[in-house]
Amino acid sequence: MSVKMTRRKRFAAMGLGLALLAGLLSGCTGESGKETIRFTFSKREAIGFMTKLVADYNASQDHTEVVLDTSGVDVVSASFVRGNPPDIALANYNMETSRFVQRGVLSDLSGAEAASRIRDDLKPLMDQYGSYPGRTSALPYSVMASSVIYNKEIFAANNIAVPKTWSELIGACEKLKAAGVTPFYATWKDDWTIAQGWFDYSVGGQVDSLGFFKELEAEGVDVGPESSVSFQKDFDQPVQKMLTLARSYVNKDAASRAYGDGNLAFSQGKAAMYLQGPWAFSEIAKTAPGLSLGTFPLPMTEDPQDLRVRVNVDLAAWIPEASKHKDAARDFLEYLYRPEVIDAYNESQLGFTPTKDSSNKPDPRIEGMVEYYNNARVYQGPSVLVPRTIPIMNYTQAIVFGAPPASTLRTLDADWARLAFRQ
Amino acid sequence: MTNQATLEIDQPQVRKTPAGNNRRRSTPAVERVNWSATTILILCAVTVLLPLYVTVSMAFKTQGQAVDGNAFSLPAPFSMDGFVQAWTLTNFPVGAAMSLLVTAGTVLATIILAAFASYAIVRNWERRLFRYSFFYLLGAMFIPFPVVALPQIQLTGRLGLDNPLGVILLATMFQLSFSVLLFTAFLRSIPMELEESARIDGATTWQTFWKLIFPLLAPMSATVGIFAFLYAWNDFMMPSLIISDPALQTLPVRQNLFQTQFSNNYHVSFASYLMAMAPAIVAYLFTQRWVMAGVTQGAVKG
Repeated sequence: MSVKMTRRKRFAAMGLGLALLAGLLSGCTGESGKETIRFTFSKREAIGFMTKLVADYNASQDHTEVVLDTSGVDVVSASFVRGNPPDIALANYNMETSRFVQRGVLSDLSGAEAASRIRDDLKPLMDQYGSYPGRTSALPYSVMASSVIYNKEIFAANNIAVPKTWSELIGACEKLKAAGVTPFYATWKDDWTIAQGWFDYSVGGQVDSLGFFKELEAEGVDVGPESSVSFQKDFDQPVQKMLTLARSYVNKDAASRAYGDGNLAFSQGKAAMYLQGPWAFSEIAKTAPGLSLGTFPLPMTEDPQDLRVRVNVDLAAWIPEASKHKDAARDFLEYLYRPEVIDAYNESQLGFTPTKDSSNKPDPRIEGMVEYYNNARVYQGPSVLVPRTIPIMNYTQAIVFGAPPASTLRTLDADWARLAFRQ
Repeated sequence: MTNQATLEIDQPQVRKTPAGNNRRRSTPAVERVNWSATTILILCAVTVLLPLYVTVSMAFKTQGQAVDGNAFSLPAPFSMDGFVQAWTLTNFPVGAAMSLLVTAGTVLATIILAAFASYAIVRNWERRLFRYSFFYLLGAMFIPFPVVALPQIQLTGRLGLDNPLGVILLATMFQLSFSVLLFTAFLRSIPMELEESARIDGATTWQTFWKLIFPLLAPMSATVGIFAFLYAWNDFMMPSLIISDPALQTLPVRQNLFQTQFSNNYHVSFASYLMAMAPAIVAYLFTQRWVMAGVTQGAVKG
């Protein structure tokens, strides 16, 4: 009898579980008369801002209900495979996203009103990741400019002006060193901090990365010592200069410090300069909210005309071809690009607005980069233009840790040629 | 390294003991303390307790204190902010319910299906079909999920299984091979005579299984269940790729939000991890005895 009871109970429990599951699955298809669109956005720092924005939009009209999806990049890739991608996304524009572009799964946005307001000089930057013939697959939404972050108080205390040339930079470093201040705080434990800051700033300050990568693409399998452009020829001198800085003007424990340690140390005034992007500002502000910081492009030549800042398209908007709610998604896109909305977003994230009619008032911390951004004296970092298959971050880390630059750059050439051969 | 350190710690302790020894001699049944083993065990315990301590203390810190570089400091001021943020960011109640559903479903389905399959296989071992189906099931052990991820995503999408139910099915399938291996080994040790006596009393196969074999399998079911629980509760990749509706996502995937390159929110992440760990820890506290017995079961009986 007792065995029978437990058996019955077991079946009852199983039945209950199934009923629960069924209820749950049918529950999610319930519609309230509004057209629901799924909006993918996974920039952690800005989720609070976006949640509010989406709520405002949902309240402002009664035909579309936007659902914010913060589940991230992997999930989006899987949804393309499955055939139910998000209806609209604001995502980091990089080699990964460019795959969607090149395969033509993103719809053409050239007809959108927002597309006509995008600054023309940003187009080559977007195209650098590849494009699909006859389409504007993605629109830039937020551009991040990065350069040297410096501690204004330390510079003032040591009577140093912002350096505009390589020799002024070395002079400033020597002066700081003599005063017992570490010129640069380096966090080499995280290889991306080397690639993003040390490597990209050094190379981008000297090499015309737009032209270089175009030619490199054309050379393809022939990239090597004989080709018109190559890493070993064009990057050698910038990398040597990077090593000059890296060998004499950094903190002693650089090799064992990670990004988080760097933010803390810099906020405590342990160094005068820091090669990081604007994302570090909010991290530094966690421990030192009032610190007076500024930015300037890393000078790599003797000509101030060569000064340029590194930019990346932090967020780009796109609407997948497979979305069933493209019109509703378009409406939301136009809302996102309203001047007051896009400016408010970029001000909150210390980004630059990519539209022509922007009236963005930049934060004092990024003021030093405004003139360069406005005059299009910008470049995209070489480390992000190399496909992820090539471990360039590890290579740059190896160089900083003492590997001979010449042979490492030769490896880079060989990798590039091999990848071109495979494709 | 460890040995040397142990020896050094060892000696002063030995010298100290004579005073204690005299007292102890009066009570006859006291064992000698094995200090070197104790030290090693303490070190082992520390490797578990220290991270746990950091998790707990970090969860109660404020944002400023969480990034100040002193992981071991006590939270001051004491703050619940991390929990509040983690709760809303991951929509914790829903996430936990999903994780629980997926885990419970996987554990139940794994135990029942694996027991069915093993019973059929062991009792029909002489037939080729059953023998080969055993090898077929074991073959799945050599196929990790990432290898078949892409077709699985498409398949589940087409069948309308891009939800927790699909995850339960797939997770069960991937757990099946190992569980069948454990069950068959255990079943072979159950004497045939028991079953024959049930048969003589008129029991059908179904009755024999439910009334005799399945209860006898209980210790192994516990083992299988524990492995399935750990797998399903902690799995990240499968739910992240299979479940398409973010509202139905499990906890580990929701928590992925906290792992970003550019910012550290240790207090929020650790508060969230603590909440996700809690059910497993609570379950372990109550079922320690069976867990320990269960995990070693397969090792002894193999």
